[in-house]
Amino acid sequence: MKTFLQATALALVLGTVPATAAELTVVTAGDQNMVDYINEYLGPLFEKEYPGNTVRAVGTGPGDAGSQKITERFEAQAKAGSEKWDTDVAVVHEKFAGPMVQAGYLEAYRPNIETGKLVTRANADMALGTNVSGYVMPMFNSQTALAYNPALVANPPKSYEELVAWAKEHPKQFGYNGIKGGASGVSFVMGWIYAFGGSDANKLMNGPFEEAETKKWDGAFASLKDFTQNATLTPGNAGTLDLLSRGEIAIGPVWVDMFYSWQADGRMPPEIKLVLPAPGMPGQPMHYVIPAKAANKDLAEKFVALATSPKVQGEGIVKRFNWYPGIDAKYVQPELDEASWNKLFTDISPEDLATNGKTFPIAPYNNAILEAYERQAAN
Amino acid sequence: MSKRLLGLILVLPALAVIVLLFLVPLAASVVGAFVADGRYGLANFEKAFALYTQDIIFTVVIVSFSAFIIGALSTAIAGYLTLGENPRAVAILRWLYRWPMFIPFIVVGQVLRTFLAKNGLMNNMLIGAGLITPMQASGMLDWRGIVIAFVWKQTPFVTLLLAGAMASLDRGTIEAARNLGASRLRILLEIVLPQVATTLVVGLILSFVTMMSVLSVPLMINAQSPTMITADIAFRINAYGDYGVANALGLISLGVTACVAWIYLRQTMKERA
Repeated sequence: MKTFLQATALALVLGTVPATAAELTVVTAGDQNMVDYINEYLGPLFEKEYPGNTVRAVGTGPGDAGSQKITERFEAQAKAGSEKWDTDVAVVHEKFAGPMVQAGYLEAYRPNIETGKLVTRANADMALGTNVSGYVMPMFNSQTALAYNPALVANPPKSYEELVAWAKEHPKQFGYNGIKGGASGVSFVMGWIYAFGGSDANKLMNGPFEEAETKKWDGAFASLKDFTQNATLTPGNAGTLDLLSRGEIAIGPVWVDMFYSWQADGRMPPEIKLVLPAPGMPGQPMHYVIPAKAANKDLAEKFVALATSPKVQGEGIVKRFNWYPGIDAKYVQPELDEASWNKLFTDISPEDLATNGKTFPIAPYNNAILEAYERQAAN
Repeated sequence: MSKRLLGLILVLPALAVIVLLFLVPLAASVVGAFVADGRYGLANFEKAFALYTQDIIFTVVIVSFSAFIIGALSTAIAGYLTLGENPRAVAILRWLYRWPMFIPFIVVGQVLRTFLAKNGLMNNMLIGAGLITPMQASGMLDWRGIVIAFVWKQTPFVTLLLAGAMASLDRGTIEAARNLGASRLRILLEIVLPQVATTLVVGLILSFVTMMSVLSVPLMINAQSPTMITADIAFRINAYGDYGVANALGLISLGVTACVAWIYLRQTMKERA
């Protein structure tokens, strides 16, 4: 009872404090590590820089489903005609940035902040076929690649063709997680279509969508079916890493950041390496966005400016999470010690990343590829 | 105020909860299954069967097979608890068998994933004991893993029901058979089991419905092809935002469970009559 009274008293006192100090609400999609990143690192840093304000982080859950929830939240507030939305900054997946811009939910804030000039990658202007220039700031870029065990794979395949040849000689030594167990498998399938689909990869990534393109893939899926029967299917993104670390498979597609985190935790033997095969595998950024009707817009811009400053990108994004920076890497390099920098770019050089780091196809092609996989390769 | 009206008011909150939280969403998902591209029709079902027929058959076969094994194991355990002659063994078994019931499916999936993998705990033990060589080791993270997870988790539940029913039997029938020299196995199969058959069937039906709805186990152990309907439903929604086909798949699995629920309902009706 006493604690209850104290709590009530505290709540009353807090409630009557004049609202000069703002509470910044940051809503983020993604795993718990995203919420932790804001609560444990970015939030305290921001509160120190701009005293008196507090940051509240809300997680909406992993994967596309998390971003979907944020979209639905904006949609609801837009339909209700709310003047002040309950979100100041949101972190969303690439796939959702376009629809949000088209629906007019977002503020074009990039020109207003200093760090906006440091962004150079094309995926900050085009998000899966939609122009989002100015509306988004990339928080980080993540990439998929093939992880391999050098003891079992002496000459890592430099291309999808070489991989197919290698896998034929080494049955069940290639492992991936299909398309239902996480995006590293999806990414491998997208790369397969870029390599063998007979469509122009640039068209798949940038649009426009044409039904005729989807008819060209039959041969690619037939060969993928054969390939898959000769491969090991793993349970999930972590499943591929798990089997690699146990030596059950010799090579498989992984998210680069997960791979490095596993190595840092000692769950993945240090000898395992990465290679990004031609013509490339997809990766995706996550974007900071600010709703057009955010309650604390100025503060939100300051928050994103801090989060995308070279120092935070180096310390937080590269060093802590092994993600590729959202802003141009050349601005981040001076902020980092050589070891951290080298770790991220040893196996896959910035040049490899520039030529073979692709984006996912635009949404209609993306869905068409997934469904064709279910129909032709998995059945 | 009449007594009848008062009764109606009292029951109203509960009724409202059932209607709003259960019947309305169910109706919405049933209707949603028949809506494709804004029109009513069977397009969702056509797609569901075109893409997932294998998975539907796989699900029914896996779950039925698991239920069969659960039935056999729980009969054996409950039978020993009832007829066992070594009090210490009975006490230990009674203490042990319930544990898996308190472990969530997701944890079962997680535990079995590390246990059944090719280089997992089980194969390491077998290799360590010299029973198999490392070359012979193979992972069981496929349909076998799912069956093992289901059996491991659901057997205690059915055993609990069954042991309770067996304990409340008239011991006289068992003693009589024993006096006439019947073996314990024969007593179990010919005297005890027929008397508790309804309980066994009810337990298996409840397990069947539970297993049909588990998503975590197929996702963790085998999200490949073929996989269980639940994994497909989750995939339809998460990858395509396609609630239509997901609803259709949901309705198909509802159809399957309705078949076994019908047996259950008929049974309870008979008991009440």
